[in-house]
Amino acid sequence: MKNPVEWIVAEASRCVYCGFCEPLCPTLRPGGHRGYGPRGRVNIALLVVKGYKSEEVVKALYTCLLCAACNTACPARIDIAEVIREARVLLSS
Amino acid sequence: MRAFVEELRGVLGASKVVVDPAIVSLYSREPTGLSSEAMAVVFPENAGDVSRILSLAYKHGVPVYPQGSTTDLSGGALPERGVVVSFERMNRVLSVSILDSTVDVEAGVRLGDLNIELSRYKYMFPVDPGSVSIATVGGAINAGAGGLRGAKYGTMRDWVLGLTIVLPDERGSIVRVGCRTTKCRQGYDLVRLIVGSEGTLAVVTDATLKITPLPEATVVSLAFFPTLEGFYEAYRVIKSSGVQPLMMEFMDSETVELAKQTVDVSFKAEGNMFLVAVDCNVEAVERIEGWLRKVMIESGATSVYTARSMEEAEEMKLIALRRNLFAAQIAMTAKLYPGKSIVVHPEDIAVPPSKLLEAIRAIRAVSDEMGLKVSIGGHVGDGNIHPAVGYPLDDEKARRKVYEWYREVARIALKLGGTVSAEHGIGVIKKELLQMELEHMGSIKALEIMRSIKRVFDPKNILNPGKVV
Repeated sequence: MKNPVEWIVAEASRCVYCGFCEPLCPTLRPGGHRGYGPRGRVNIALLVVKGYKSEEVVKALYTCLLCAACNTACPARIDIAEVIREARVLLSS
Repeated sequence: MRAFVEELRGVLGASKVVVDPAIVSLYSREPTGLSSEAMAVVFPENAGDVSRILSLAYKHGVPVYPQGSTTDLSGGALPERGVVVSFERMNRVLSVSILDSTVDVEAGVRLGDLNIELSRYKYMFPVDPGSVSIATVGGAINAGAGGLRGAKYGTMRDWVLGLTIVLPDERGSIVRVGCRTTKCRQGYDLVRLIVGSEGTLAVVTDATLKITPLPEATVVSLAFFPTLEGFYEAYRVIKSSGVQPLMMEFMDSETVELAKQTVDVSFKAEGNMFLVAVDCNVEAVERIEGWLRKVMIESGATSVYTARSMEEAEEMKLIALRRNLFAAQIAMTAKLYPGKSIVVHPEDIAVPPSKLLEAIRAIRAVSDEMGLKVSIGGHVGDGNIHPAVGYPLDDEKARRKVYEWYREVARIALKLGGTVSAEHGIGVIKKELLQMELEHMGSIKALEIMRSIKRVFDPKNILNPGKVV
């Protein structure tokens, strides 16, 4: 069984910050800042792992639709949607 | 600084100023691997908001960093304290005029979205950096971006007619420069001074851009050559034929092998890749297709694939290898440093096309000498080469070695009559190389002129300080 913290760190740390995932995200534009898109959420997940929590972080992670459209554009092949789902689990536990 | 942020919230409204460190950190990092710390991110909704931000920043002496989508590859959008001004909420296409061949857009419009809008009119904005789907108009203007179609259509410098800019002065002056016409002799050319100035002189809020009709038809030819000489012969023949291709893309054989691991293609892809697209009228398609095939085969290509439209080329995945260049470079670096956070550094030199082969060979040689695994690709139609190497984010020794490699590649470009930065800009990473280039030209005075210009626009040095000059 995977350790969620280790898995998030291993997966999200591969983000090279290119942003190629962002145009496919349905929540980025209405959200109003980068935290509402996959690039932002993946990197927020790395902060959640370290224990960071704030209202903006909760909003950013819980507005994701988990549609995984972003996964198809990631050149680093990160399972972005799963990173976000696991980060939600950490946030709520 | 806190007083400034509070005043900013009072003037703009709290919803436009974000201070949560988690969110601010998302605007304090770049694909270059460089990161820093800003104090806040501000989201203006119009030029008036930007004016108020710059006026307050001038009063408090606070640095301001305009940002598009942060796809910059030279450290040009990196904040150091101060506030980031993000244009995500200024993302409207204001008007399209087919008769005038212009479009008016806000700075935060993504180039990909702009082209979707223009395709309704069978028009396009032809500057297409590799990050076209995410890059914004404002970011592309600041960077002086180019792209795959650069050989035919040039760079942002050639497609911006007019700009609304805001100055970092007491009033946050809003100034309109340039015209709505292609011909425009408005004294000194301030539009072209701002384009490529990397947000160091003024903040661009909206732009009038030239647009052009979509090509009636496009022929695409993808060929693989066992030798670099074969590729270059085909390149030389096409470049000397009087035909101006829409696109000429190259990947060396080692990079093709990497790219193949990231995308499934049904055709045989072995050797040095040469992708050529020529736009033409429908009546000429068959003739151009036959001519391209003939040139490729007579130059020594072992396999040639052609398509009679971009759609067909996409279906056949003829462009897929090139599109996956960045993914290939990431895969290459990840394989070299398993389990590590990595950075991929694409270089960005241009040499005269007559020196292209020499440049590719020299880059390969210096990389091998330094023991660096390099992938070599580029928009070779205009002599623009993007060799790339990667390293682990936390390895300072490896970073220093890559930066030394940067200098070596720059020396190759200068020796061959080229330039150290074709389309990515100077930012912080290439400041030393800019100086090297101007010294090489015996024109260090040009750097003094640039610094003087910076002082005229930004006397308090609060606008993207530390970049370019």
